[in-house]
Amino acid sequence: MKRRVVITACSAITPIGWHKNDIVDSLRQGRSGVKPLRDDGLLNRHIHSRVFGTVDYPIDYGFKRQYRKTMGPVAYYACQVAKDVLEQSGLDQQFITSGRLGVAFGSTHGSPTVQRDIYRTFFQDLDAKFSSIGAVDYLRSMVHTTAVNITRMFGITGRVIASSTACTTSSQSIGFGYEMIRYGMQDAMICGGADEYDTTTVAVFDNLLACSTAYNDTPQRTPRPFDSGRDGLVVGEGGGAVLLEEYESAKRRGARILGEILGFGCNNNGGDLILPNLEGISTTLRLALQDAGISAGEVDFVSAHATGTKMGDVIEAQAIDAVYGDHLPFVTGLKSYMGHTMGTCGVIEMILTIYMMEQGFIAPTLNLEHVDERCSMLRHVREVTQADIRIGAIQNFAFGGVNTCLIFKAGKEVDE
Amino acid sequence: MKRDVLQEKILTILVDDFEFVQPGLDDNLRDDHGFDSIDAIELLGKIEGILGLALTREEKEKAMEIRTINDILDYIELIESSRTT
Repeated sequence: MKRRVVITACSAITPIGWHKNDIVDSLRQGRSGVKPLRDDGLLNRHIHSRVFGTVDYPIDYGFKRQYRKTMGPVAYYACQVAKDVLEQSGLDQQFITSGRLGVAFGSTHGSPTVQRDIYRTFFQDLDAKFSSIGAVDYLRSMVHTTAVNITRMFGITGRVIASSTACTTSSQSIGFGYEMIRYGMQDAMICGGADEYDTTTVAVFDNLLACSTAYNDTPQRTPRPFDSGRDGLVVGEGGGAVLLEEYESAKRRGARILGEILGFGCNNNGGDLILPNLEGISTTLRLALQDAGISAGEVDFVSAHATGTKMGDVIEAQAIDAVYGDHLPFVTGLKSYMGHTMGTCGVIEMILTIYMMEQGFIAPTLNLEHVDERCSMLRHVREVTQADIRIGAIQNFAFGGVNTCLIFKAGKEVDE
Repeated sequence: MKRDVLQEKILTILVDDFEFVQPGLDDNLRDDHGFDSIDAIELLGKIEGILGLALTREEKEKAMEIRTINDILDYIELIESSRTT
């Protein structure tokens, strides 16, 4: 059994806004969400990269204590976007708790803020080290904390998939959620990812010489995907969720259809855990096209992973060129607006693409002033472009050699 | 510790840390205030702080029979008396 899977709600908390109008306005105005690194009282003074994709606007969560007590900062993002999509969807409580709605949601490593507090307890000179660790610290920090705080808050009893594959976390969540519905295991899935403010992630990339350091005084000028002046990625924070539903039931209940997932490709490079791999990436893009049952020429827009690292962008450009050949789609690196939101990036990039599909434009890659000649074979979007994206592809690649590609069709193109 | 002093301390904890609204001494903790097993473990940590001692596993297991605020007070008094005898 293969069933059609549609997107019926979406929400993203990003460094360039939370509500659709704010995000679209930022994309149209070329407004960056990259800001100076915040003081965390621990690592920030030692890190060379002084920039971060920052969520700095107030969010009135209003969660009751009974839910808050098991939530670290990452779960706040997760539960808020999940709440947004459930409210948008209009799904009734009976269905939400029926077991036919599942959750595919993850983060890079749970809540590093809470984990840090736990370690701080260990390293302090206290007599009562063990007992001063709170009973709920594990629930707040564990790797599947986002997914199960969502199930707890909304009484969801279906399947839980808690991907934790770094930069492909949320794109895997969407892909695995799509497969759950496509093959009849679930009728709907809340899919996405979240990651909180965390300097340990910055420190890791900083030590690998992968972080941007040349624009510390002008944060909005970095990252610079595909630009000859790029010098690395910028870590960011945020959360995003999409609601996927089986097409026939969504249509029956009159749900607003924002898009249709056509295909999902996912593989591993089978070797090095860090270096980008042309063969692995190219294969993923082809797997997604094959799953979607479409030719490369039918894809209008590629949201590139494009973190702004020196080699990653070149390898990705080569892969897009190899797969799309003479039918090059428009290409934008959306991380140029907010940095790399890690486990969240795939779902955020899908939601931004949904918004651009709805509004008939494509945002340019920010800070792309002089295209690196090794990336120049692509059809880069250099300015706000009026265009109808009919079919878009979201590509993401992670440490560990995991690659994903999601292909989806615009809501207005979905057959009645 | 006198019961009225203890009662004041516990009520303050339940209101400030557990966000109880107008707690009554014989309210059912779970049904009336959504107090669950996670909260119980947290509260035991706070009781250890009040008493300035570490509860044994047996003493903690005994706490699982608590249903009301009066039960909490009885429990603490029992611990205190058992430790002083």
